[in-house]
Amino acid sequence: MPEEKIDFKKARMKAGIEIHQQLDSKQKLFCGCSTAMQEKEPVAVVVRKQHPVASELGAIDAAAQYEYLRGRSFHYHVFRDETCLVDTDEEPPHALNREALQIALEIAMLLNCEIPAEINVMRKTITDGSNTGAFQRTMIIGTGGWMKFGGKKVPITQVALEEDSAAIVREGENGNGGKDPAEENGKATYRLNRLGVPLVEITTGTLEDFSPGQLQEIAFMIGITCRSTEKVKHGIGTIRQDLNVSVRGGERVEVKGVQELGMLAKVIEKEAARQLELLKTGKKVEKETRATLLDGSTRFMRPMPGAARMYPETDVPPVALDDVWLKQLREKLPEPWTDKLERFKTKLELPADLAVQVVGSDYLDIFENIMKKHPKVNAVVVANVFTSTLKDIGRRKLDVKRLEDRHFFAIFSELEKKRIVKEAIPDLLVNFVNAPDEAMGDALRKLNLTMLKPDELKEIVAQLAKDSPGMAKERLYGIAMGRVRGRADPQDVLKAVERAAKK
Amino acid sequence: MYSPEIEALLKKKGVEAGGRVRVTAGKAEYEGILMPRVVAGDAQSIVLKLENGYNLSVRYGKGFEMKKLAGGARIKHKAADVAPAKDASKPTVTVLGCGGTIASRVDYTTGAVFPAFSPGDMLASFPELKEVANIRGRKLFDLFSDDMTPAHWQAIAAEVAKEIKAKADGIILMHGTDTMHYTAAAMSFMLPNLPVPVVMVGSQRSSDRGSSDNAMNLTCGAVAAVSDVAEVGVCMHGTTNDDYCLLHQGTKVRKLHTSRRDAFRSINVRPFAKIWYEDRRMEVLRDDYKRRGHAGRFALDDKMNPRVGFVYNHPGMDPAYVASLANHFDGIVVAATGLGHVSTNPKGDPLARSIVPALKALVDSGMPVVFVPQTIYGRINLNVYEAGRILEAAGVIGNGCDWTPEAALVKLMWVLGHTKDPKKVRELMLTNVAGELTERTGTETFMT
Ligand SMILES: [Zn+2]
Repeated sequence: MPEEKIDFKKARMKAGIEIHQQLDSKQKLFCGCSTAMQEKEPVAVVVRKQHPVASELGAIDAAAQYEYLRGRSFHYHVFRDETCLVDTDEEPPHALNREALQIALEIAMLLNCEIPAEINVMRKTITDGSNTGAFQRTMIIGTGGWMKFGGKKVPITQVALEEDSAAIVREGENGNGGKDPAEENGKATYRLNRLGVPLVEITTGTLEDFSPGQLQEIAFMIGITCRSTEKVKHGIGTIRQDLNVSVRGGERVEVKGVQELGMLAKVIEKEAARQLELLKTGKKVEKETRATLLDGSTRFMRPMPGAARMYPETDVPPVALDDVWLKQLREKLPEPWTDKLERFKTKLELPADLAVQVVGSDYLDIFENIMKKHPKVNAVVVANVFTSTLKDIGRRKLDVKRLEDRHFFAIFSELEKKRIVKEAIPDLLVNFVNAPDEAMGDALRKLNLTMLKPDELKEIVAQLAKDSPGMAKERLYGIAMGRVRGRADPQDVLKAVERAAKK
Repeated sequence: MYSPEIEALLKKKGVEAGGRVRVTAGKAEYEGILMPRVVAGDAQSIVLKLENGYNLSVRYGKGFEMKKLAGGARIKHKAADVAPAKDASKPTVTVLGCGGTIASRVDYTTGAVFPAFSPGDMLASFPELKEVANIRGRKLFDLFSDDMTPAHWQAIAAEVAKEIKAKADGIILMHGTDTMHYTAAAMSFMLPNLPVPVVMVGSQRSSDRGSSDNAMNLTCGAVAAVSDVAEVGVCMHGTTNDDYCLLHQGTKVRKLHTSRRDAFRSINVRPFAKIWYEDRRMEVLRDDYKRRGHAGRFALDDKMNPRVGFVYNHPGMDPAYVASLANHFDGIVVAATGLGHVSTNPKGDPLARSIVPALKALVDSGMPVVFVPQTIYGRINLNVYEAGRILEAAGVIGNGCDWTPEAALVKLMWVLGHTKDPKKVRELMLTNVAGELTERTGTETFMT
């Protein structure tokens, strides 16, 4: 498909975003298992079949489903500390995990949702084997919310708390060669350690008049709103996005499984382009569900399923929400990171992309603490240390995890007192990786990074000028910088050079 | 039930459960189907099933408004009436519903789950059944298995006898799992010389879910029901996998786990058979069972005396409590520790309180006192320790017996239904009637 510029506005592109964010509670949603998902070797495999449950579905549908499921078997990997009888569908669910409920409520509140009077746990029928019970437990935590974005209010239709599904074992793992479950003689293999890990599902309303790039930003903002609670998981696979995309004259298409946020705009763009191309050539856009491929394009997965088939989870009574507790949660709600982002841009004068990087980094906490303790330090310098200098050092095969908060505080304290220049920071960090217990003074002396006094600097530059009379200013500056790098502010060096040249 | 205020509002608006409504509460507005209020939960909130399938509770209070909308759903079960075609080449199996829900129909519009029992429902839920047998069936009663009484056992046994007379080739009893092993023991005593298999099945996972163990248990149960094992059996999952069921002997089976699929285990014996789900193959594990078409004469023998009590012995048991049992029962079963012990205090410890005098008084008054092992596995042996010898001398019944507590309890009810003569009771209790007592225990029978 030619990569031409699409006028998304003219195409009346509409999109909805659904974000699935795993919560970092200690235990799973309905059992006492760890949510760490760290075990690699299964201790057992449980093999199960599933069969259709009679419903209002037509008899033909039911018979087809019966034949389909009859030919399939599900192999579930059991992990010692991350799988229990609840996960293997051998024990009723325990009580709803209050920690997870609290995190989900905080997220719903941060997204300005209405909180229901009580929590009704539902069973959502799932037939692909990714849930041992053939259903996923899910519940509404909030409705009718919104999030500010570029002066507009993005509607948040619903926040739900649910159990994550079991992860399918794919290529490279001891499984079915990465094919779709149905392709391997009807055998699908799943790992049960992800099953039951709490996640919030955040659904936006239908979004119009946003570019794919803006939609990606909205998804990012929702993601960092979740992270405001500091109790959500992060890393690969802990946040997943689904989309629905339509253009004028077409149908709504569901796109599943955008694993990387950075891909979202591309996926929307490619999907809208695919739909427009179909319409242009007189074909129809089918109402269907598509899966995301690595390059951001999509492939047909299945026809769009009908409405979710849900019925109450009778093993978990409705959970009353205590008004006092809700009030306390509201009062103690953390500052949404979306506000933080705004504050970084306006108060700390960070450029937008740097602000986003800081908020998305693992060093957000210490960044803020440093700015609090050393307000006179230039925020851009601090932000750069955490978003790029540390990465550079890491690339040199040095273990930046050996750096502790005290090292950063000491360095930025020196910087604030103008006892070092910012150019000295990389060398100091490397030094503390190698010698974490060295005193700052010793390090500065050893590395020759103690800042020169104005007189000393003047002296050095004057001597250089004297040694090479008539040298061009630029060249003199270069030589001087080479001599004093890390010990003097380049601005001061420049001034000294100007002064020496005048003589 | 909703709170009186909400009920009044619903009445005023003419809204019933299943009706579509729009509800406003403050800024929020919701549309959905009004759900009936479940027992648990906040009576001051109405529950709506939203368009997207979720149930949502909305607090009734200031700013609450409700508008009746057109449409809605009727929360009512309609049986699937697929007339099952009869295949003359296949045997006929009767399915009798004794409570417990083995098949369900879910109405996703309202989220309501209905038990489904008609043969049409069953065949709609378990199409594989018709590959095994022609199925006919009816529901005897609708109750939790914990509500079963000896009177229910008698009713079931009578229905089984009726079906045998009506030439069923096998009978399946659908039953809640909690007391399934009691009913299995009762059927074993009440239905001597069965000409055809009587197979009990249930499900440990509710039948409204696609992962329920119901389909496999019922299918394997049907295979057992058309087999030549003319005994009372319990057919349930053999492992946590959906690989095979075990067909357990009715007097030797026990539920040993609150929730697992493979909760039912044979105690002190091998199961009759393994039945593989995939190919419906029956792998017989014993040869000491009655074959279909044996020479014995079948006759219903359902006399029972339900006045039998069950006592679980424990350290510090109060002798006065034991003595008081005389006021309630015609016979008692004591779950004794170890090889069959209770406090006998032969060494005269000042703190210990022997219950032997209390037990002996019961025995002397003509009341049978039957000992069973609270270890579940193993055999009572009152010859090894002094405590045992004291109890044997006191006249308790059970030395050498490897019965399960439940089989012994049911047997005592059945024996007391036939005789009150202490000597005859003792003799009958110690005689193997329905496989409840064995003379040897194989080494392979523990925790398998
Ligand atoms: Zn678990």
